[in-house]
Amino acid sequence: MTESEVWQRLTSVFQDVFEDDEITLSPETTAEAIEDWDSLTNIQLLIAIEKAFPGLQFSTGEVANLQNVGDLVSAIIKRVAT
Amino acid sequence: MVSGVKAGSVSPDTAMPDEQTRTQILGALRATESIQDYLSLCRKWRKIDRTAGDDGRAELRVVLLSGATTDFLELPLRAELDSFGLRARIHRPDFNTHVSELLDPASATAEFSPQIAVLLLGASDITEWPAVGDTEADVATLADRFADLWLNNICATFNRETGAEIILGNLHLPPTSSTGHLSRRLPWDRTNFVRRINQLLAERAPKFVHTLDVELLSAQYGVQQWFDPRFWYHAKQPVSFDCMIPLVRDMAGIIAAIYGKTSKCIVLDLDNTLWGGIVGDDGVNGIKIGQGSAEGEAFLAFQNYLLELKARGILLAVASKNEDANARAPFDTLDDMALKFADFVSFKANWGPKPDSIAAIAKELNIGLDAIIFVDDNPAERALVRQSLPEVRVLEMGDDPSEYPYLLSRSGWLETIEITSEDRKKSEQYAANRSRTELAESAVDYDSYLRSLNQKAVIRPFEPEHFDRITQLINKTNQFNLTTQRMTQSEVEALAASDSTLTAYMRLKDSFGDNGLISVAAGSVVGDTLTLDLWLMSCRVFKRGAEFAMANYLLQEAVRRGIANVRGLYRPTAKNGLVENLYADLNFEKDGPAEQSGTNWSRTLAGFEPFPVSIEIVEDFA
Repeated sequence: MTESEVWQRLTSVFQDVFEDDEITLSPETTAEAIEDWDSLTNIQLLIAIEKAFPGLQFSTGEVANLQNVGDLVSAIIKRVAT
Repeated sequence: MVSGVKAGSVSPDTAMPDEQTRTQILGALRATESIQDYLSLCRKWRKIDRTAGDDGRAELRVVLLSGATTDFLELPLRAELDSFGLRARIHRPDFNTHVSELLDPASATAEFSPQIAVLLLGASDITEWPAVGDTEADVATLADRFADLWLNNICATFNRETGAEIILGNLHLPPTSSTGHLSRRLPWDRTNFVRRINQLLAERAPKFVHTLDVELLSAQYGVQQWFDPRFWYHAKQPVSFDCMIPLVRDMAGIIAAIYGKTSKCIVLDLDNTLWGGIVGDDGVNGIKIGQGSAEGEAFLAFQNYLLELKARGILLAVASKNEDANARAPFDTLDDMALKFADFVSFKANWGPKPDSIAAIAKELNIGLDAIIFVDDNPAERALVRQSLPEVRVLEMGDDPSEYPYLLSRSGWLETIEITSEDRKKSEQYAANRSRTELAESAVDYDSYLRSLNQKAVIRPFEPEHFDRITQLINKTNQFNLTTQRMTQSEVEALAASDSTLTAYMRLKDSFGDNGLISVAAGSVVGDTLTLDLWLMSCRVFKRGAEFAMANYLLQEAVRRGIANVRGLYRPTAKNGLVENLYADLNFEKDGPAEQSGTNWSRTLAGFEPFPVSIEIVEDFA
């Protein structure tokens, strides 16, 4: 999977979870930038991302420490990039 | 498709399309097994619920308590309860304050005055584990202490202070073991210890504590699916997101069962639901049922599961589009069928629309449409029933029969908080009812029919051996119910123990069998006035004169106690129009308008003459 495919799929996961088709992501997008992104939706988001990328499982440290979309993408790419 | 926003923008009917959307969302919510879809449906439901605002339904106050995080359970629980017709307000104290919230009579939780407390225990609540090498006796002592703390100390205190019914979620088994397969033989092993305390928590639970069997649920899904350690460490989440659905669904199911909102009857399609193939086309020997084919075995397993449900009190009925003779043939001629014709309390095989058959079944059995589950492999029939009879619970299903028992078992619609001996006899009682109907149709007039029934009744004050059934009837009866006053068993016990009350239950037998305990009434005595504020009767015995027999007992007992006046209350609901004029029929006069909605009635007992009834009152059944 290429990095741009990761971005594409991640954006659609965000749009699903936050039910907002307008959401666009950049590496600096943080929880503060998206309305409704609280600790609860954060967990939902992580689960949704795991389901969207077969074989992906975030580690306990990542679950607790992923701070922004850039972190997310690099964590994903580390596992699923070809 | 049903948004209708334009049409409804000014008219007072705006609630209608919203109500339809709400029903649709809740239907979809009940059908999905994807947590993402589920949560998104929950949020849609919340939007509609917020717009609808207060709809006049009384709010059920529920508190969610745990040493773990329960934030994410709140919204789904409200939505699931709404699918049972219950509107809930949920109080959620801070994480890990559950013990003090329960024990402190001045806590915010106690002040919230919940009717239901859901208490989810977890491994972190076990403060003392057995030590390696502890004997059976040591471990038993530890387990006793744990069960005693939670049941007799914490739960009992909270129930005494608030009267709340408590739903106690037990522990899932540990996902890891240090002793492997030897663990079963070691009393001190942690897995064994958890099993032991779960067993004690259920065995010793007082009446107001209802088990939410997390051990069972997590085993059905697999403990490693159930518990995601990453989210436990990160956010103290006790259950994985995927398994939140079964947890919250069964939680709602148990609460619904306490309020008599779970289902009583399953209406089944036949072709490709109870057997494979179409009996009208394939012939009775062409359908797949029983040993010999994989599909036939799967359908047989479903039939056997339905029989298990029937044995514990769920009624089975059929609504099939078929020639009646074709529909009956497999039951009559195939030995491989586990279900027999006599297992059904109603059997409709015809070419009319299924909603008509279902409505006819509900009427025949005298149960509400919301007490019915409809099971049909054909999505078009399911859609039609959903649309025409939104109260009916339609099971969403695919076309693989091996899944059918699981879908029903997971629905949460069949939860019950007890199984009385009445439940186990229920199908027989309905069958006897069918014979009574046949007799009524052949009798020249209704009075001679009633006389030919040879009815005998026992009417007595509440007694401990019947407390469970009395409570069940109070909470399940909707139609013949003057005040629809629901009560917990502790409240029933208190009523029975009080000197200033008059209580009565009635059991009824006739030539076709025992109808069981079918009516309950109670009133309070102040000075020389008896106020009847609880009176209900099972729909199974409508039009038998039993209400007059009950009235005779109540009024004669009042006379015996020197009471001069009797007042009766009627509080209307969507379902109890049947008894609107009961007190008029008993020669009560209507008083002015009641304080709440409804009517108040009164009569004097001077010169009271018992009403004529065709029921012989006996002291006890031999």
